[in-house]
Amino acid sequence: MKIDIRHIAKLSKLSIPEDQIERFEKEMQSIIQLVENLPEIEGKATAVDTENTMELRADEVVASASREDMLMNAPQVAAGCIVMPKVVE
Amino acid sequence: MDKLYSLSAKSMKELLDKKEVSSVEITKSVIERIEKTDKDVCAYNSYNFENALKNAAAIDEKRAKGETLGALAGIPLAVKDNIHVKGLKTTCSSRMLENFVAPFNATVTEKLNASDAIIVGKTTMDEFAMGSSGESSKLAVAKNPWDTSRIPGGSSSGSAVTVAASQVPFAMGTDTGGSIRMPAAYTGIVGLKPTYGTVSRYGIIPLASSFDQAGPMARNVDDLAMLFNAVCGRDKMDAVTKNYTFEGYGDSVKGMKIGVPKEYYGEGVQPAVKERVYAAIETLKCQGAEIIEISLPSTEYALAAYYIIQCAEAASNLGRYDGLRYGFRGSNTSNVEDLYLTTRSEGFGDEVKRRIMLGTCVLSSGYSDAYYKRAKLLQQNIAKEFTDAFKTCDVIITPSIALTAWKFGEKSGNPAEVYAADICTITLNIAGLPGMSVPCGFDSTNNMPVGFQVIGKKFRESDVLTVAKCYENAVGGFAVKEF
Repeated sequence: MKIDIRHIAKLSKLSIPEDQIERFEKEMQSIIQLVENLPEIEGKATAVDTENTMELRADEVVASASREDMLMNAPQVAAGCIVMPKVVE
Repeated sequence: MDKLYSLSAKSMKELLDKKEVSSVEITKSVIERIEKTDKDVCAYNSYNFENALKNAAAIDEKRAKGETLGALAGIPLAVKDNIHVKGLKTTCSSRMLENFVAPFNATVTEKLNASDAIIVGKTTMDEFAMGSSGESSKLAVAKNPWDTSRIPGGSSSGSAVTVAASQVPFAMGTDTGGSIRMPAAYTGIVGLKPTYGTVSRYGIIPLASSFDQAGPMARNVDDLAMLFNAVCGRDKMDAVTKNYTFEGYGDSVKGMKIGVPKEYYGEGVQPAVKERVYAAIETLKCQGAEIIEISLPSTEYALAAYYIIQCAEAASNLGRYDGLRYGFRGSNTSNVEDLYLTTRSEGFGDEVKRRIMLGTCVLSSGYSDAYYKRAKLLQQNIAKEFTDAFKTCDVIITPSIALTAWKFGEKSGNPAEVYAADICTITLNIAGLPGMSVPCGFDSTNNMPVGFQVIGKKFRESDVLTVAKCYENAVGGFAVKEF
């Protein structure tokens, strides 16, 4: 598989500077080589461990974090809201 | 009493129970030890000394009043920096979360608090737990106490180092593909990746959610068991956890069947490692275990399946770092798209970027059937092979890692070679099985520690620890680095 770093970076919401494209391409190519030789295999994969199924908790209303706690790590806050750049010009 | 810091957790507990020492005395000794040695081994991203002393004093008071105390009462420990401890930073050793303060406790932390343990700090790690050397940390880069010019292994690098350098008796790590077992092997300590679903993931920053599992690291089996017992069990905040009770462990392997899979002793494994692991198997044989040759043929595809699934899940999990609600935010951006790009490109290191790109690639249109779907099918095959193997044996023994600790920078520029070093540990995360790294001597070429891995059936940590304990007794205990 040939990897197009510019395309994958765009999908990943990463910008890779032009002078690093070649290095990333080389590194990614060696990683791709490691993962691409999968055997032909047929069947249906189940996403979960059928013998150890998940146990959901009861859907109950309980006290959770306060607004202050949740905003504590926001980069920019105003009037109890998170400030972000303009989306529509 | 000097050198309190160097005692095992079990000895600390005995002295505390007999009221021969106080938790404040032990905690002070541990803090002094960290202050004296951490500039050389760099195990921590942040310290919690003030709170630790306050908590130790509170526990001493409880003890004086005769109140009921938790199982780890007054014993200091460290927690990996991807596990939330309310009010302390959870950085994941990344610029992205460099200033992130945990707004709540992980369930593991709640359980440690309920056990009256004393958390003295947050240990460094590979950035977002991506790495097996410790080198990808963007904050403290931990060093191997056996030779500080060498890597300690990762991703739980700081937790391994703080234990190996006798700063604390035990520490919590997390393991997605070997991140507890590999650094344990590289630094000559014991480390357990429990069965998927025994320890809650709630409040632990995810790498690959279907593989992630937290677990204990210690200098001996008894201490490891003490810590594991305190943190395991059902948590309603993590739907995959089970009503699990640790059944304890014995010290005899008489009549136990140990499987030895030939695929784990191939050309990729260094001869010095093989020699030590075979010697450990021989020791267990002398203790009465029966050794059986087994085969796990899908192992050759495990690395591919692992990195496809892990990176796919990581790319999805790390999508949340957009610079809007928390974490690093790129500056001088003109619009929201630009903000995403700048934040992620400046906030993540190269290793994280590579894995996000690999994950995005294998999930992208036209590739997901060929890669992700096939990897999931292989995962089933690998798990089934283990189930079948366990019909003929009780535990399986392999090397923990194919090599011993290398020098810093020796493998930079070759990420694929570093990925390949994970081959012995990743299959357990793929199959959800418990595994433990146990020290078994030193590499004769560089004097660095070697570890073997004991793999058990699902939820049979008891078997795994029994083998480890029997070996520990047979060799008269594990070597501790005078540091």
